[in-house]
Amino acid sequence: MKGDMYLAWSSDDEVVKRADSGGVITSLLKFALDSKRVDAVLAVKARDGNRYDGIPVLISDPEEMIDTAGALHCVSVNIPRCIKEYLNGASDMKLAVVGKPCDMRGIIELVKREQINLDNLLLVGVNCSGTLSPVVAKETILKEFGVDPLDVVGEEIEDGSLIITLKDGTTKTKDLKELEEKDYGRRENCRRCEVKIPTMADIACGKWGVNSRKASFVEVCSDKGAQVFDEAVRAGYINVEPPNHKAIEERKRKEQEAIESALQWQETEFAPLKNIAVEEKFDYWQRQFSRCVKCYGCRDACPICYCKDCILEADRGAIEPGELPPTIMFHLIRIAHVMDSCVNCGQCQDVCSAGIPLARLTFMLNKELFDIFKYEPGMDVESRPPLRSVTDKELTMPGVELSF
Amino acid sequence: MIMEEFEPKILGFLCRWCCDLPDLRGILETRHPPRFCSTEVICSCGANEFLVLKAFAGGADGVLVGGCLAEECRYMRDSLSARKEIAALKPLLEAIGVSSERLRLEPSSPSESAMLAEKLGSFAQTIKQLGPSPFSRRRC
Repeated sequence: MKGDMYLAWSSDDEVVKRADSGGVITSLLKFALDSKRVDAVLAVKARDGNRYDGIPVLISDPEEMIDTAGALHCVSVNIPRCIKEYLNGASDMKLAVVGKPCDMRGIIELVKREQINLDNLLLVGVNCSGTLSPVVAKETILKEFGVDPLDVVGEEIEDGSLIITLKDGTTKTKDLKELEEKDYGRRENCRRCEVKIPTMADIACGKWGVNSRKASFVEVCSDKGAQVFDEAVRAGYINVEPPNHKAIEERKRKEQEAIESALQWQETEFAPLKNIAVEEKFDYWQRQFSRCVKCYGCRDACPICYCKDCILEADRGAIEPGELPPTIMFHLIRIAHVMDSCVNCGQCQDVCSAGIPLARLTFMLNKELFDIFKYEPGMDVESRPPLRSVTDKELTMPGVELSF
Repeated sequence: MIMEEFEPKILGFLCRWCCDLPDLRGILETRHPPRFCSTEVICSCGANEFLVLKAFAGGADGVLVGGCLAEECRYMRDSLSARKEIAALKPLLEAIGVSSERLRLEPSSPSESAMLAEKLGSFAQTIKQLGPSPFSRRRC
């Protein structure tokens, strides 16, 4: 049933051995494939076993599922965009998707824009306390931990520290805050992200609350998810037991801690942008934007951008063709179009070849718009993006009650 | 050296159903700010994020959008969506260092044109105090 919580682990020993926390997701997806509930699974896999090179893979053979077992922290693939661009928005096949909260939110935003068919999707979300950019991760491990990045077989972000596991089974721990002050550690958007448990997906899995057991804490968040999960349990793919009170408390506490640290990061990151003197602010952004090489990477990577015929294209007349750097309009138009629905996935900043702090600006604006419209992007399929729609409720409210 | 007094350039996007500013000039003999020019839009939602930003990038010191009250809009919900659009653009302008006071949405109705003219005057005063927009400051 929707809202149920379980401590769960796979009944397949091989999966338990290879996965990080019980292999619930691997077994659940294997069941979904075996029982033909989905045609394929979109998951993330380390290419050639390299942990720093994660790629999205489409799996239709249940036996291959085991290759995707285990968590990868040093990748940030663009799952929503992948479904929309390369899998026809799941319009012609039933798909199970595994992803972080921001991936799930991106998918839901695209569903609202009719680019992805949610009826064909089974969303399996994993708790996320942050990802590392592959290059930074390697540098962190080499310089701060003093080990060869290729010796690492597992990373973990737990209670404010980064823990790496080496080939020989030893673990090394460093304080995440210290690392991040030196600009190592998690990606910038992950630090300030406050959605840690993907309750907007059908099933949310994670290891918070399992108390170092080889199991996952599963929260079933929709009826669709409940159906698949219950059947997988009945078919014997997954073992479950009800979590005790302590486990639920523990999970809640860890989430709360992570959110608090995120809010702190938001403050420290936004403060310099907000506190620049008004006269310098414009020059600051002009300088930042003047580095742009107009590669359109930010537009192409953003899961929210979906127009087939983009107004920023040279033949649309909005932006002077061939002008480099483009006028500040290029960025303002792009940001104006996505700011109400930014899910803070950080893809725009990741791909930016000039290193413009795009995600920071967009997310800051998104937070300010939240104060006006009270719209949380990607959390609920039913609520519409505020700048693209007017609800009947707003229409019947007298002008004085509207706060915008 | 005689410093020329700063006269702000103001562009108005005026809804054709409720803003009679150009006519008013003849009827009531009100005086508009000297560098005010306006364009008629079918509905205030015609002044979308692109046109407003383009106006600023093109050197406007202030942008005034005149539209119907939500319940009087001829196009059901469009004036409300314009209102949302403008509300959302303000933080964006503020974030890049353009004061959000430079963008104003004035709800109006056909009988209130004289009032709109007054509001335009006070808007021009506000912009005058703010000085030239950073967009045009860079140009000169």
